[in-house]
Amino acid sequence: MIEPVAHFEIGYTRCLDPAGKTVAELPEFARDPSKLVKLYQALTRTRAFDARAIALQRTGRLGTFASSLGQEAVSVGTADAMQPADVLVPSFREHGAQLMRGVTPSELFLYWGGDERGSAYAGPREDFPLCVPVGSHAPHAAGIALAFKLRHERRVAVCMFGDGATSKGDVAEALNMAGLWRLPVVFVVSNNQWAISVPRQRQTAAATLAQKAIAAGMTGEQVDGNDVVAVRFVVGTAIERARGGAGPSLIEAVTYRLGDHTTADDASRYRDDTEVSRHWPEEPLLRLRNYLVVAGHWSREQEEHLLQETAREMDAAAEQYLATPPQECETIFDYTFARLPADLAAQRESALAAKHAAESSRPPGGAAQ
Amino acid sequence: MSSFALPDLGEGLQDAEIVAWHVAEGDHVVADQPLVSVETEKAVVEVPAPRSGRVAKLLGKPGDRVKVGAPLVIFEDGPHADTGAVVGELAAGPTPAPAAAPAVRALARERGINLASLTGTGRNGAITRADIERAAAARGSGEPLKGVRRAMALNMARAHAEVAPASLWDEVDVEAWHVPDTDITVRLISAIGIACRAVPALNARYDGKSMTRELLAHIDLGIAVDTEDGLFVPVLRDICNVTPTELRRKLTVFKEAVRNRTVAVADLRDPTITLSNFGSVAGRHAALVVLPPQVAIIGAGRIYRHATQHGGGVAWHHMLPLSLTFDHRVVTGGDAARFLAAMADDLKRPELPLSRGSHVQGD
Amino acid sequence: MTEISLLQAINLALARAMAEDERVLVLGEDVGVDGGVFRATDGLLKRFGPDRVLDTPLAEAAIAGLSVGLAAQGFRPVAEIQFAGFIYPTIDQLANHASRLRTRTRGRITCPMVLRSPCGGGIRAVEHHSESPEAMFAHIPGLRVVIPSSPRRAYGLLLAAIRDPDPIVFLEPTRLYRAAREDVADDGAALPLDNCFVLREGSDVTIVTWGAMVVEALAAADEMNREGVSAEVIDVATLKALDAETIIASVKKTGRCVIAHEAPVTGGYGGEIAARIAEHALLSLLAPIERVAGFDTVMPLPRLEDRYLPKAAQIAAASRRTMEYA
Repeated sequence: MIEPVAHFEIGYTRCLDPAGKTVAELPEFARDPSKLVKLYQALTRTRAFDARAIALQRTGRLGTFASSLGQEAVSVGTADAMQPADVLVPSFREHGAQLMRGVTPSELFLYWGGDERGSAYAGPREDFPLCVPVGSHAPHAAGIALAFKLRHERRVAVCMFGDGATSKGDVAEALNMAGLWRLPVVFVVSNNQWAISVPRQRQTAAATLAQKAIAAGMTGEQVDGNDVVAVRFVVGTAIERARGGAGPSLIEAVTYRLGDHTTADDASRYRDDTEVSRHWPEEPLLRLRNYLVVAGHWSREQEEHLLQETAREMDAAAEQYLATPPQECETIFDYTFARLPADLAAQRESALAAKHAAESSRPPGGAAQ
Repeated sequence: MSSFALPDLGEGLQDAEIVAWHVAEGDHVVADQPLVSVETEKAVVEVPAPRSGRVAKLLGKPGDRVKVGAPLVIFEDGPHADTGAVVGELAAGPTPAPAAAPAVRALARERGINLASLTGTGRNGAITRADIERAAAARGSGEPLKGVRRAMALNMARAHAEVAPASLWDEVDVEAWHVPDTDITVRLISAIGIACRAVPALNARYDGKSMTRELLAHIDLGIAVDTEDGLFVPVLRDICNVTPTELRRKLTVFKEAVRNRTVAVADLRDPTITLSNFGSVAGRHAALVVLPPQVAIIGAGRIYRHATQHGGGVAWHHMLPLSLTFDHRVVTGGDAARFLAAMADDLKRPELPLSRGSHVQGD
Repeated sequence: MTEISLLQAINLALARAMAEDERVLVLGEDVGVDGGVFRATDGLLKRFGPDRVLDTPLAEAAIAGLSVGLAAQGFRPVAEIQFAGFIYPTIDQLANHASRLRTRTRGRITCPMVLRSPCGGGIRAVEHHSESPEAMFAHIPGLRVVIPSSPRRAYGLLLAAIRDPDPIVFLEPTRLYRAAREDVADDGAALPLDNCFVLREGSDVTIVTWGAMVVEALAAADEMNREGVSAEVIDVATLKALDAETIIASVKKTGRCVIAHEAPVTGGYGGEIAARIAEHALLSLLAPIERVAGFDTVMPLPRLEDRYLPKAAQIAAASRRTMEYA
């Protein structure tokens, strides 16, 4: 006689539909138009940064870049729900979250342009730099949350990663530990349906990614990742739950990757353009803009002004980045250890010697004869 | 290539101002993806892409007004290169070097043959010694230019292609100071300095591509020096602030250095104007070659004696022929003439002007 | 002062470090209630409580990753990996994160963690429990690798490792855990990292080694001494960052060198040391540099283990060979 011993349910939250109409009662914060305008401005700023980065890459002035086109609401909604003392542990596609947390566009340009100073954030000093080996930062977030718990601090770690990361062992291990020890951490999965060329249906047999939380003994839920109001609400609720000691959650934000995996990827090789076209009407900026315009909280002048202002900001940041000369070669060594061991010091000397030799044989200024 | 025009925005609107582009040149876009935001009288409107494709060119920048029906974006048609990477840039790899054994390469170097210009007849297309000898024989007994001579050939050809030269000649009576068989270079340098200050237009840098002229405050004078190996032009820096003694010393040092081939690369760079004292050998007047970005070059010919009116009768005076060739794209005949006149005036004087001498610190 | 084992020295050092600095945490599988499968963390849970000694789930990669997060937040985690055979999942976290955090954030975030694990064979253990992976870790830039060979050095070096602001892999020779015994003062005094220890001075041949092979090397030196050959024995201790200066000075003095390690010879750390000697002391060499090391095979199971492990006799034979040249 088989008796059921466990059930689970995964909820889905949406407040604004793709056309910008409300489909559920708006949360408290969303009834303040100025708050929604701020969110819209952040979304636009994220997209402007993204576009500028791509333009720089196309003109050979930035390295390979991972665009967040279409996923801005997940990043903005999540970061907006965090307190300054919370810590963000991002993957490599959450530029919107990093920007909201106080990382400057020129710091981001520096990182993607290939300069470590881009990760030495002047703003959010404890936020982790972005993580390239997929999912390997989930245990870091658990460790940070454990630190908060051991010190009895009312702070929360927020870890963001994509659908592909949910297949990684590191993520499963981190979820398990977080659930077991009721760590103050929120895991936000930005499910953009694609892990490079692998669609979500071929990533896992699980019906939702949110239900991976159940296996770790924590709350799991889904949210419309293109509805920044819903994201802000759901992630905000989870963060405050964690802050109050009720433990971790996993939130699957369902969105769509409208761009290529990176600027070195050609998605048309594995993905049909018509599918992408179908998802454009669902994108996050459009629906919030429509809502605001219809509700009378956003005008043509404001839109124009915002587009111009964000373009100016990104132009200035790009200029600052382009005007920043590369670091001296000694910096390759200087940050490896707190104090330079003898054998590494010897290598640093030889690098310096090579630099000086190259400098003295180079003719000063002027064109070649 | 196909172009996409600004569509009819409705309500009888004829044109719109570009507010912001949402895509960049080179982007792959899909149908309905927003390309650009434009401002009409009524609203800021997002214009979606009509089809999927690669953006070749954006026609217009934020702030530009575009008419309805005018081209807005050029799409690239046809297949594009497969980048085949997700991160980083994979260099295509060098074109394979021609195969040749070490001894064959040494022979090629000796004969001055460029391996890349040959097709090898050896095993698997390798280049053989016979291939090298054949190429050398075909070229004839001519010796390919190397080093300084090669540089001169390239520079003169470039100058010829770019510059519009014009020349002016004059004779200067230097009887007042000339001592036969002594070096007159220092006086020539002094005269050039004075003339440059009087007519700065001849001490300038001109870039034909951007059509910009920069007048230069400092005068770095190139001195043409002739050697067996070819023409060297060491540069005396900032001649107006150097004492005559120092100039003489520097000239001697340069001549030595050129002779020994120890002259530093830095000392051969960026003259702002040049002097060729060819008259120390022979020749009266010359239309010399102006090397861009300079705009002028002065030639001093061989001093000769000339019967001239003096007092009530005839006297034999030493005359110094002067040539000035200038780039007429940017220097006027008037400037050139005034420059020459200033030089001539100075060279007629019996002594170096006091202002030059006053720079002396214990000359 | 009492005579204690290497294991007890580890336990003492951990307790001392935790008492001195409340940021020091111990975490790993079975380290709390059980005191560690070898009892390296015995008594620590009782003394310092569950907020300082954490029994983790069975998840090596996450143990290392968790340590990265804790260290970034200012704790000093000392994570235990139960056996070096299970250390491989941590390489990702060490190579991609722990060793790089300082440099990739220009010093904004650092990683003062220690990952300790029993290593090496000769304990007649089941498969996978006799690994010597030190060369793999030594190859990772930004990571230190430390291997003690005696109770005193275990105590002093572990204290130094815990106090160091950068990540360290601390590999403990399992077969010396109980076999090595000596007097150790629990005085909190650290020994210097990045330093070789000259355990025995000599003038004819330099034996360079680390870990459990130190015991074999000293025995070989005794044997050579009876034959009138004076061997100098150097315990490298900190493989990375290497104190090449001490080794080179010694080889310049003796002119002969034998490098001994238990790990397989090809790609083993002995190659690095041999290269440095060739680079800086070639003109002093009277004989080729010898390596006594494990075969390029997996450590055989207990019945043949003895045929694999390099011993004093082989080190002595290699030393004799070097004496034959000049």
